[in-house]
Amino acid sequence: MTQTALDGVRVLDLTSEMGWYCGKLLADLGADVIKVEPPGGDPSRGRAPFWQGTPGRETSLRFWYFNANKRSVTVDLGQFDGRWLFGRLAETADIVIESWTVAERRELAERGLDPDSYMESRPELVWVSITGFGLDGPKAGWEVTDLIAQAAAGIATLAGYPDGSPMRIAGNQAYIVAGISAAQGALLALLQAEATGNGQRVETSIQETMSICQETAHLQWDFLQTSRERVGERYRLPGIGTYQTRDGYIYSMVGIPGFGAPWSDVIGWMDEHGMAEDLTEPHYVETFDTFDLRILLVEEERDKHAEVLDRAQEVLTAFYASKTSTELYEEGQSRRLLIGQVMTPKDLAENRHLAAREWWLELNQPTTLGQDDAALKFPGPPYRLSETPATIRRPAPRIGEHNQDVWVDEVGIPAEDLIAFAGEGAV
Amino acid sequence: MTSANGSRPLDGVRVADFSWFGVGPISARTLADFGADVIRVESEARVDGLRHGEPIKPGKSGYNVCAYFNNFNADKRSFLLNMGVEGARDVAYRLIERSDIFISNLTPRIFERWGLTYEDLCNVKPDIIAAYQPMLGLWGPHRDFAGFGAVLTPITGISHLSGDPERKPVGVGTNYPDYVVNPGHSVVAILAALRHRRRTGQGQRIELAQIESVSATIGPALLDYTANGESQVRKGNQSSWMCPHGIYRCADDPSGRERWVAIAVGEDAQWESLCAIAEGASFATDDRFATLLGRRRHEDVLNGLISAWTVSVDAASLAIHLQSAGVAASLVHDGEDMCEHDEHLAGRGFYEYLDHPETDISLYDGPIVKLHETPGYLASPAPLFGEHTFEVATEVLGYSGDEVAELTASGVLS
Repeated sequence: MTQTALDGVRVLDLTSEMGWYCGKLLADLGADVIKVEPPGGDPSRGRAPFWQGTPGRETSLRFWYFNANKRSVTVDLGQFDGRWLFGRLAETADIVIESWTVAERRELAERGLDPDSYMESRPELVWVSITGFGLDGPKAGWEVTDLIAQAAAGIATLAGYPDGSPMRIAGNQAYIVAGISAAQGALLALLQAEATGNGQRVETSIQETMSICQETAHLQWDFLQTSRERVGERYRLPGIGTYQTRDGYIYSMVGIPGFGAPWSDVIGWMDEHGMAEDLTEPHYVETFDTFDLRILLVEEERDKHAEVLDRAQEVLTAFYASKTSTELYEEGQSRRLLIGQVMTPKDLAENRHLAAREWWLELNQPTTLGQDDAALKFPGPPYRLSETPATIRRPAPRIGEHNQDVWVDEVGIPAEDLIAFAGEGAV
Repeated sequence: MTSANGSRPLDGVRVADFSWFGVGPISARTLADFGADVIRVESEARVDGLRHGEPIKPGKSGYNVCAYFNNFNADKRSFLLNMGVEGARDVAYRLIERSDIFISNLTPRIFERWGLTYEDLCNVKPDIIAAYQPMLGLWGPHRDFAGFGAVLTPITGISHLSGDPERKPVGVGTNYPDYVVNPGHSVVAILAALRHRRRTGQGQRIELAQIESVSATIGPALLDYTANGESQVRKGNQSSWMCPHGIYRCADDPSGRERWVAIAVGEDAQWESLCAIAEGASFATDDRFATLLGRRRHEDVLNGLISAWTVSVDAASLAIHLQSAGVAASLVHDGEDMCEHDEHLAGRGFYEYLDHPETDISLYDGPIVKLHETPGYLASPAPLFGEHTFEVATEVLGYSGDEVAELTASGVLS
C-alpha cells in the first residue's frame, strides 16, 4: 500500500459546505477524516448538481466531490449524551475543523461544547475555525455565503464588465480558498504540535483570505489613492483579449514584447493559412516591428496608429473565427503564442493533455438510486507528491455509515449503549 | 496571543526560492510568514517582471518600488545569482545543499537547462523537498505551453463558468488563481511533505501542474459533465439554492462613485426579514415571491424590482441593516474600502504596514491564516534587489570575502 503524508492523523470534520474543502485536502493526503454530522445528515448534503439530475441527500455530486475519503458518524451535539460521545471521540483526534456561525458557537459553548475545554484535556489538539469574517471584530457575527465573501473581499468589484454589475468568480471560490487557508493553518499547527506537544486554535477569515486575490487593488489605493475598477477587457489592442472562434472562445495574449513570439509570427501564422490579407505589406510589417505595449497603453499613441491597429484587429478576428478553439490553442502555443482555450467542463473532460497525464480517477460511488453504484470519472488531485501521493481511497460516506466502526470498534462504546443512544436520538 | 516576535512553526526551515512572478514567490511568502528563511534567488539577466510592474511608488523608479512585487516578497532575502554564467550552478547547488525546500514555477525547459531537475537536486541534497509549479506540469503533450493567470483562468473552466451569460467570457478581472489557489495548494503539499520527511527522513518531488490545481476547484461542474453529460454554462451571480442572490446598484456616493450591495437569501424567513426592511417596495407584498420556488421562477422580474428599490438606498447602511436582521449582505468593497473604511478589517489588524527603505510605510497582506499561539508575521519588508547577496554568500553558503569578490568579478553573483 502506498504511504501517505498524513498517515495516523485523525481529523474530526464538523463543517458545512463552507469548510468541506479543508477536510478533503487533508483526507486525500491520508488523514483519517471523520465527518461528524447531525442525525439526518449535514444540511448541505442536498445541494446541486445531482447524480442523474435527481435531488436527494445521497445523490449530490457536489457532496460526493468534497467528501470522498471521509467517514461519517452522526451525533446530536444539542443533547448531553451527544456531547459526551463527541468528547470521547475528540480524545482520539489530532485536528478538529468546524465552520460554526457565531450563534451556533455561542449556543454550543453555553452547553459546554467549547474548544478551550477540549484542548485543556488534550493539549496537543489543533482546533480550526473556518469563519466568514473571523472570530472577533464588529462583523464576526455576520452571515456569510460565497457571494457575500467575494463582495466583502474586494474581488467581485474587479470581475465583470464596466457597464455591468460586479461579478462573482464561479465555483464557490470563497469556500475553496477558505479550505486551502484552513488546511495550511491545520498543517502548520500540526507540525508545531508534533514538535512541541502543544496544540492551538487556528482561525480562517474568508474575507481576509479571499482579499489576497485582489491582486493590486488594495496596493494601488495605498500608493496612489485611486481605486482599481473592473475593465472587462483591459487593453483593446489587437491580439489581447477574448475572441470568438469557430466553436467557442479563446483568450489571446499575443504580441507583448518579451512574452512569447512577436507579432510578425502571428502574421506569418495567418499567412500560412492564406488569411493575413494586406498585413504582409511593408508599412504594416514596419509598424508591427516597433509595437510596444507600454506605448500603446497610452490613448494618444493608439490614436496615432489607429489605422494599423484597427486593420490588424479586423484580420485577426476573422482568422480566429475561422478555426476551432483547440486548433488555435494547440497551434498557437506550439508557436510560442500565449493563447488559452476558454474551456468548458466538456472541453476539460476531453482535453488530451489531462488525459495523457491520467489526471482523472475512477470511483464507484454507492447511491440510493437503484442497485448499481455510480461509476464516476472523478477529478484528480491538485498536486502530485512523488512519495506520498494524494489519492481517493473510498467514496463519500452515507449518513452515519461508520457509526458502528467508529463508536463501537474504535471509541469503545458498548454496542448496547450505542443502541440506547440511538433510541434517544443522540446518534 | 503571543506577540509578533515569538517562535513560529517553520523556524529553522530554509527555502531556496528559484521562482518569479506570482505562484512561486507567493508560496514562499507564506512559508516566510511562518518562520522559514526564504532565499529569493534573482537574476540581473531575468529580472522578475513584477519588479517593474505596477503600482509604483509615486516619484520613485527602479526595481524596488513596485508594490505588486514587494507585497509577495516580504520577509525574504534577495540573492542575485546569474544562472546563465559559468560557475553559477555550483553556487546554486551549495544553496540547495543547505536548504530544506526548493520552489520553482519556471518552465521545465529553463530549470532543465539550469541543472535544477529533481534528480539534479537529489545529487546534492537527497532529502530535499522540491516543489515545481509549471502551468501544464512536467510532462504531457502540452508541457511547454506558457502563460500567466490570465491564460490559466480560461483553460481551467473558470472563465467559461464566470460572469454574464449574455456576453463573452472575459475572465474575472485578475490573474485570480495565482494568489491563493495555486500557491495555497503548493504550501499544503509542501507542509505535508515536510511532515513526511520529519517522520521518515525521506524528501520528495511535488509537481503542481497549475491546470490541475485550478481544475480541482470546480469539481462539481466537472462531475456534472462526466456523470450526467451536462456541460454547465455561466450564470452570472445566480445560485441554484438561494434567491434573491445578486449584486444590486445602490445610490452613488456624493463624489459620484458607484456603490453596490450583495444580497444572498436562502430561507423564507430571511426573505421575510428583507421584505420588512424594504417596506413599501412592491416586491415586499407580492405573493409570487413568497417561496424560494416562486422567487426562482420569477428571478429576472424580482431582480429588477430589487434594483429599483436599492438604487436610491445607501449600500453600506443597507448591508448593516440586513445583517442585523440575519440576512447575508455586504457592501461591494473596492480598494479604498478595504484600506480605509472597513473598520472590521482594520480592527482585526489584517493589513500590515512595514517601513521600506524606498517606499516608506507601505501596506502588505497579513498572513493567510491565523494561528493563535504561534502566529505568522512579517519580520521585514520586501528586500531590495540583491540586498542580501553578500550576506547569503558568506553566512549561508560559507564563501570567504575573497571568494565572493571572485564570483562577483566573474559575473556569477551581482
